Amino acid sequence: MANRESKTDVLQGTLDILILQTLASLGPSHGYAIAARVEKVSNGRMQINMGTLYPGLMRLEQRRAIRGSWGTTDNNRKARFYDLTPAGRKQLELGKREWNRTVGIMQALLSEPK
Amino acid sequence: MGAIREWFQRLWGTFRETPEDAAMEEELALHLEMAADDWQRRGLTREEAIHQARLQAGGVAQAMEQRRDQRGLPWLGDLLQDARFGARMLRRAPLVTAVALVTLTLAIGANSAIFSLVDPLLFRDLPVREPASLVEFTFQFPRDPPLNMFSLASYERYRDGNHVFSDVFGLAPLTTQSRTGDEPIGTEVVTGNFFQALGVRPALGRLLEPSDDRPGAPAVAVVSWQYWQNRFSGDARVLGASIDIEDTRMPVPMYATVVGVAERGFSGVVVAYRPDVWSSLATVPDAVRSRASFALIARLRPGASIEQARAEMRVLDRARIEELSKRDPQWLGVAIDVAPARTGLSTALHQQFGGPLFVLMMMVGGVLLLACVNIGGLLLARGAARQHEMAVRVSLGAGRFRIVRQVLTESLLLASIGGILGITGARVGATILMRMMISGTRAPGPTPSLDIPLDARVVGFTIGVTVMAALLFGLVPAIAAFVSAPAPALRQAIGAPPRARRVAGNGLVIAQVAISVALLSVSQLSIAHLRHLRDQSLGFDRDRVLLLSVNSSRAQTPARALALYRDIVPRLKAIPGVRAVATSGITPIAPAAASRFLQAEGFDEPAQDRRRAAMNWVSPNYFATYGTPLLAGRDFRDTDFGLPRRVIVNQTVARHYFAGRDPIGRHVWLENEREPYEIVGVAGDAKYHEVRDAAPPTVYVLAANSGGSTEFSLRTDVSPAAVAADARRVVTEVLGDDSVRRVTTLAEQVDAAIVPERLLAILGGFLGASGALLAAIGLYGLLAYTVARRTKEIGVRMALGATRGDVVRMMLKQALLLVLTGVGLGLPAAFWSERLTAMMVEHLAAGGIVPIVVGASALLAVGLLAAYGPVRRATRVEPIAALRAE
Repeated sequence: MANRESKTDVLQGTLDILILQTLASLGPSHGYAIAARVEKVSNGRMQINMGTLYPGLMRLEQRRAIRGSWGTTDNNRKARFYDLTPAGRKQLELGKREWNRTVGIMQALLSEPK
Repeated sequence: MGAIREWFQRLWGTFRETPEDAAMEEELALHLEMAADDWQRRGLTREEAIHQARLQAGGVAQAMEQRRDQRGLPWLGDLLQDARFGARMLRRAPLVTAVALVTLTLAIGANSAIFSLVDPLLFRDLPVREPASLVEFTFQFPRDPPLNMFSLASYERYRDGNHVFSDVFGLAPLTTQSRTGDEPIGTEVVTGNFFQALGVRPALGRLLEPSDDRPGAPAVAVVSWQYWQNRFSGDARVLGASIDIEDTRMPVPMYATVVGVAERGFSGVVVAYRPDVWSSLATVPDAVRSRASFALIARLRPGASIEQARAEMRVLDRARIEELSKRDPQWLGVAIDVAPARTGLSTALHQQFGGPLFVLMMMVGGVLLLACVNIGGLLLARGAARQHEMAVRVSLGAGRFRIVRQVLTESLLLASIGGILGITGARVGATILMRMMISGTRAPGPTPSLDIPLDARVVGFTIGVTVMAALLFGLVPAIAAFVSAPAPALRQAIGAPPRARRVAGNGLVIAQVAISVALLSVSQLSIAHLRHLRDQSLGFDRDRVLLLSVNSSRAQTPARALALYRDIVPRLKAIPGVRAVATSGITPIAPAAASRFLQAEGFDEPAQDRRRAAMNWVSPNYFATYGTPLLAGRDFRDTDFGLPRRVIVNQTVARHYFAGRDPIGRHVWLENEREPYEIVGVAGDAKYHEVRDAAPPTVYVLAANSGGSTEFSLRTDVSPAAVAADARRVVTEVLGDDSVRRVTTLAEQVDAAIVPERLLAILGGFLGASGALLAAIGLYGLLAYTVARRTKEIGVRMALGATRGDVVRMMLKQALLLVLTGVGLGLPAAFWSERLTAMMVEHLAAGGIVPIVVGASALLAVGLLAAYGPVRRATRVEPIAALRAE
């Protein structure tokens, strides 16, 4: 149990943004579409497995950042589609800002001449 | 916000039985399928694609598990499961559960009840700014208790002359009667800086301010939040309302205008007293104000210590004390001091009950410990029965910590039920106790009222006690569960328990006996103390005396008083069943008292060493009525009225002032009187005002009454209550309808003065007995278990020729060994508890070895009684049957 905690803890901050951002650019999507999109955008460098993705989706849903509903895919299969809520949009904005700030600080720190 | 929502959802998810698992699984399956489709599209075969998808996306089972964890709160789910299982286990052993629950309810309830009284009385800080820096002032004549009573002049001197206090403020309770006819109003006259210094804020309007003390300022008042709610229903129109203030010392009622309401939660600074109204100095006429005594409080400047304050107070009033001592040398011995006041100004309730309540707190703590050990033993014994179950669970893969958690959850469940029942009972108990306590305070002034709220502190304390109890009594079975090795336990379902378990069982019984010895000695001590106060060394016979308090203001002149005396006394004496009648100004152990400085013929002492003598004004037959012996000389006679001044003194006076000489015929002088009195008799020493103190030097002056109030005392041959109606009728016939103020018996009056000791003795006795009972149950349980376990062994022994006597000896040896070891270990604890009790309860002398011996022997008897049943059963063992049973 403790193991799982630490694993998600590391990912949690970025995972939320990844999911939210993906939904923002794709619109309502099912879980696999999100995973595939992340993998594609990262050129295969980032893969999200189901054990990470679905608890993450559930957490965001519990926080009312996204809303899930059953629908049908292009090839007519029943799937659960997730969509951003206004609260999710706000969280994404905040997350982006925070991320950029962190990246800026890290860059400044790392490029500091010795 | 999001996080809270998430937790709420998860909490909901824990309790909800959801059909979502299937949906989740479907979602995951779809995910895998789509991934495989993608791989296939990239050129892999279907099989390879599925394999690749699995590799990348992870297992369905793991994802499901993690999702389920995210859905609810896993630990809460486990806890609920443990609790459900625990509840089943408790139901399965109803007797054990019932005994444990009764014990726990009693122990936790007693702790909660005593704490809810002790906390506001002794521990709780005033709800004001920085209560730790508050101190109160006291002044003390030698041989008297310290008092916080000062004049306004002193207040001004201290306020303006000190260097260590940031504020000095004062208050004076008024004895108010309501003018409007409804309930009386509790009023405190306070200095204008009272609220500012305490840091209290207004709930409405403004509070009193220093400018309210200026000469000519209007009379204004602030009401308490409570009073505002009750009397004005929280209406803002309270501002500007007029409040009538009446004090017995004031010739006319005064009016004050309400200017504000104090903040909620502030109920004054006096322990166990909550005023309704705080009024400004201007509400009291100058003449009364200058004579009134104020209780003074100060706030230490930041950085100033209480030692600095003490030093300051010693010099601050030196000049005035020297001035006063020129007239009255007694003042030289006066000590002015400061004391911490963070919990508020102490009152009679606090002083009288603080110590006994503290002792009771210790005792209920002891009972709780005892209860925990007892239940621990019970659970341990049952744990033996459940060993098999535990072993099965361990072999099926349950972790040891999971098992321990299961055991502790069960303890917690048990304790929680006990805690809930306990706190409910405690509310009732505490209310009854508080009524008893208040009936026992006889300080003049407003009636104390102690709030026993079900507040966070009491609830927190009870929860703390409950959890602690659960951990304590769950500890032993938990350890036993932790170390239980599954394999052997499974192999031998029945048989001799492991040695460790036996030692633990014995240890628990020994601990119970030891705690119980300490409890019993303290309860013995408190009972002996009560008996001592009640029956011995009073110096008068408290039984069968009726007391009538008579309003005799109409009989002011001595001649008229004498006439009334001669009229009433013979009529009272004529009532059948009345043996002797006397009047006096004061009755023993009553709230009223009087004393004067005494000088005696032929006894020279420096003026500042003079002592006060207790005074009483008595008629002939007073000593016969009270059963106080006359040791020398004679009683007053009816013919003494009108003769020169005669007194009877008690033995203490005779011994101190006339050591070795005959006091009869010698003279004494009373303070402020020029003419001497001649001593005609010496009476035995008798308790006067305070039942706990030794009899003071006492002077009895002959008088038919003493203006204002006269007490008639009737010594009866029958129950005093039987003549009460007749006596009342006789007095009202002569003096009018409302002349009788109070009818009581001497025994009741004495009992009312020793409520703290009675409370301690009753509750202490009860707790001691409960402790002994618990120890007996523990011993009985262990012995019964031993007999059951050793039935086969006993059978073998008897088959081999052991007699019943041998078996009895064997069993008794075990019982006695346990009890004696417990008693031995309990002795130091008992001794220490006794000393602590003597320290906490004033006038209580540690009884030395006697209460301990009584306690120990009582426990020995109880132990043998508990052993009787199991031993009897052991002797009934039929060798053949026992052997066949295997």
